[in-house]
Amino acid sequence: MKNLFASLCVLLFAGNIFAADVATDFSGANELYAKGKFAEAASTYEKILQTGATSPALLFNCGNAEFKSGHLGKAIAAYRQAELISPRDAELRANLAFVRNQVQGAALHENRWQNWIGSLTLNEGALLAAVFFWALFALLAVRQIRPALAPKLRSATQLAVVAAIFSGAVLALQAANHFNLAVAVVTSAETTARSGPFDEAQSAFTAHDGAELQVLDRHDDWVQVVNGAGKIGWLSRKQVEVLPGA
Amino acid sequence: MNIFPPELSYFLKRKIVVKKLKNGHIISWLHLKRFRLRKFTIVGFLLLAALGLTAPVARAASFTASLDRDTIALGERATLTLRFDGDAPQNPPQLSAVPGLGLGYVGNQSMNLSINGVDSSIVTYTYAVTPTKSGEFTIPVVATDANGNSISATPVKLTVTAASAPTAAAVNSGNEVVFLKLSFPKPKIYVGEPIVVRLDIYLRDDVQNFGNFQLTGTPADGFKPGKIVELQNQRRRVQVANRVYTVIPLAVPLTAVRNGALTAGPFTANMVVVLPSQNEGGDPFIQQFFNQGQQKQISLATDAAGVESLPLPEANKPANFTGAIGNFTMTATAGPTNVTVGDPVTVRVQISGRGELDAIQLPDQSSLQNFKIFPPTAKTEITDQLGLEGQKTIEEIVTPQNADVHEWPQFSFSFFNPDDGKYHTLTQAAVPLTVKAAGTSPMPMIAANKTSAPENQSPQDILPIKENLGSLTQNKIPLVAQPIFLAAQSLPVLAFLAAFIWRQRADNLANNPRLRRQRAVAQLVAGGLSDLNKFAAENKSNEFFAMLFRLLQEQLGERLDCPATAITEADVDQRLILLGASPATLESLRELFQLCNQARYAPIQTRQELVAVAAKFKKVVGELQSLKP
Repeated sequence: MKNLFASLCVLLFAGNIFAADVATDFSGANELYAKGKFAEAASTYEKILQTGATSPALLFNCGNAEFKSGHLGKAIAAYRQAELISPRDAELRANLAFVRNQVQGAALHENRWQNWIGSLTLNEGALLAAVFFWALFALLAVRQIRPALAPKLRSATQLAVVAAIFSGAVLALQAANHFNLAVAVVTSAETTARSGPFDEAQSAFTAHDGAELQVLDRHDDWVQVVNGAGKIGWLSRKQVEVLPGA
Repeated sequence: MNIFPPELSYFLKRKIVVKKLKNGHIISWLHLKRFRLRKFTIVGFLLLAALGLTAPVARAASFTASLDRDTIALGERATLTLRFDGDAPQNPPQLSAVPGLGLGYVGNQSMNLSINGVDSSIVTYTYAVTPTKSGEFTIPVVATDANGNSISATPVKLTVTAASAPTAAAVNSGNEVVFLKLSFPKPKIYVGEPIVVRLDIYLRDDVQNFGNFQLTGTPADGFKPGKIVELQNQRRRVQVANRVYTVIPLAVPLTAVRNGALTAGPFTANMVVVLPSQNEGGDPFIQQFFNQGQQKQISLATDAAGVESLPLPEANKPANFTGAIGNFTMTATAGPTNVTVGDPVTVRVQISGRGELDAIQLPDQSSLQNFKIFPPTAKTEITDQLGLEGQKTIEEIVTPQNADVHEWPQFSFSFFNPDDGKYHTLTQAAVPLTVKAAGTSPMPMIAANKTSAPENQSPQDILPIKENLGSLTQNKIPLVAQPIFLAAQSLPVLAFLAAFIWRQRADNLANNPRLRRQRAVAQLVAGGLSDLNKFAAENKSNEFFAMLFRLLQEQLGERLDCPATAITEADVDQRLILLGASPATLESLRELFQLCNQARYAPIQTRQELVAVAAKFKKVVGELQSLKP
């Protein structure tokens, strides 16, 4: 028991120390940004992210620093990752829209439903669906245990059925979007998509820094993408950052 | 592959060994026929050798070259054969280039012969000779034999005559088996105007079959040619002199690329026709059914045809004319129409009609300062076989740059219609747009605090960084991908199922008094057994047997479905037998009843005896409970 308590204490303090380090580095990066040292700030933010810690503010600031350093693709990638955690952050959406406007080439268009379900995180959608699911079966169980309450619970049960189905459908769409509709953000200045997954393949189209492309397939170090104009090509993973769908 | 007729193959199979036929290419039926004829000659020679009419000596290597024809028309093809008797080179000889002739290697064949113990071999290499101009040609033939020595054969000569259209007199007399006719649809056209030139193939009525039509020359200086196709369902029959011809119309799309007098043709072609065989004698009536005909390769040529190409008129040329020539209609849409500054609006322009669709471009839009316009994408769908009709859909993404934008402006497209010789302008009305300032609804506070950007104005820069780190999270797997989360979702289902089963059992019990009694008795007996053990331990004989008797009554009453108080020893036997109780059980029951009766007068005193009775009761009860009422 003593050992268990000691282990918990170690873990707790280690977590606090880790958080304190991240906060210190975060403040340092913010200072660099304030001084106009955007590249250094971006580097510091990325180092924090490499430790595995993440927060919407950290990704937001990283995106800002990358944008100020002239890296549109890295900025968009950071904003998109922040959007996965905090999709309703108005500042984040404004900055993402602003940076997207600077990108050359046809933009990747998301469907209306994708925009709509993108206002919830995948975990929020999962929890919402779970709540309605649990509530529905709890009501059904109560109706079995206390049949006398069934008439009173009828409306609530019907509501729970509708809510469970709806939230389940939303979750299914979110999951499909997240796991199947990956997006590749071009992070190099200008890159040529090839007609096949090798360097000698013919050029299919040119993508500029920050272009967001739908990922269709993956092969070794290559990803097959389609751009906003419907052109398909293969890009090296070194030239893009592949992110899950919103 | 056996090249000999079956009867000769059988006769020669021990003497002549056909080693192989190495043919890397397709040999035409004419080549094959000649090849077989030559083989018959060889076979005849070998037969003579086998009969001892020739001396059995090995022949010296020889090298000869021959053409299948000395004279061909431009557009036809001749076959050159190099034959090596004896040592032959391993690879096909490289022939020297002859200007005006194309020499293409077709394939080779080799035979090893063993005649009266003397081995010899024959190797032939075949080449296709395709002239590109008329004239007299000499083909030098030099090769290197197997030993590396240069050997030569007598050069072969080929005369290529120019293809020419048959004279009008020949055509009108009906003597021409096949002829071509080239015709322009009109004498004057405009630069850039696509026209369809007709190339008609006339086949006389005695042509039994035809095929392998191949255009060998389509000179059309000053034109951009399109894909030549046969006009479907437009074959017709015409009478020329006293002969009937089948006319097969081909369409040749041409687009004039310069003005002035332009000429197309003469077009040349080759084709193979099957004509009635001339040397088969007999009754003509019978022949028409059994005459298999003979194939003949024919060279065809048209006369040259001219047309005058006019420049596009400068008068009344619209400012936004981009070179579209034809006859078109246009539809244009823009959407969504309710957007925020910077949001994409898709402008889709669809131009349908007849003309050079690929050349259609949108007018210059650089004057649209309030929009950021991305490079358009175009998709052309051709709806006719000539590639001249269809629709072109041009899509471009535009983003309004400020909230002052209220419409996507009127859009015009101009084209020149060569049919009436005039310019036309199609105009699509402006599309109203509602453009909101970026981030006006969620971000007024942010803008006021940090950027001081006036409302309803597009942002000039990104919003500043955040000072607070916020709650830190580790990169985690989404809940929906975590097995624990998924497993947890089964809990409410299991809870519901448990409640459902419980409800079913409760309802079952409520609707089944006998089952209820069975359970109550089982519970009573279970409690009674512990009491019996307790009484036995305390050596309370009276209480023990009173309890025993009661339990027996209750258990038997439940089994026999009658009141417990009505149970007596006398009733038990007969009714329990009906339930299938064993004689041992009945005997035990009787014994227990008797013990109960005896206890009223002579109670058992010892603890061990009471414990034994309790055990016996437990056993009997177990047996009773297993009976099905």
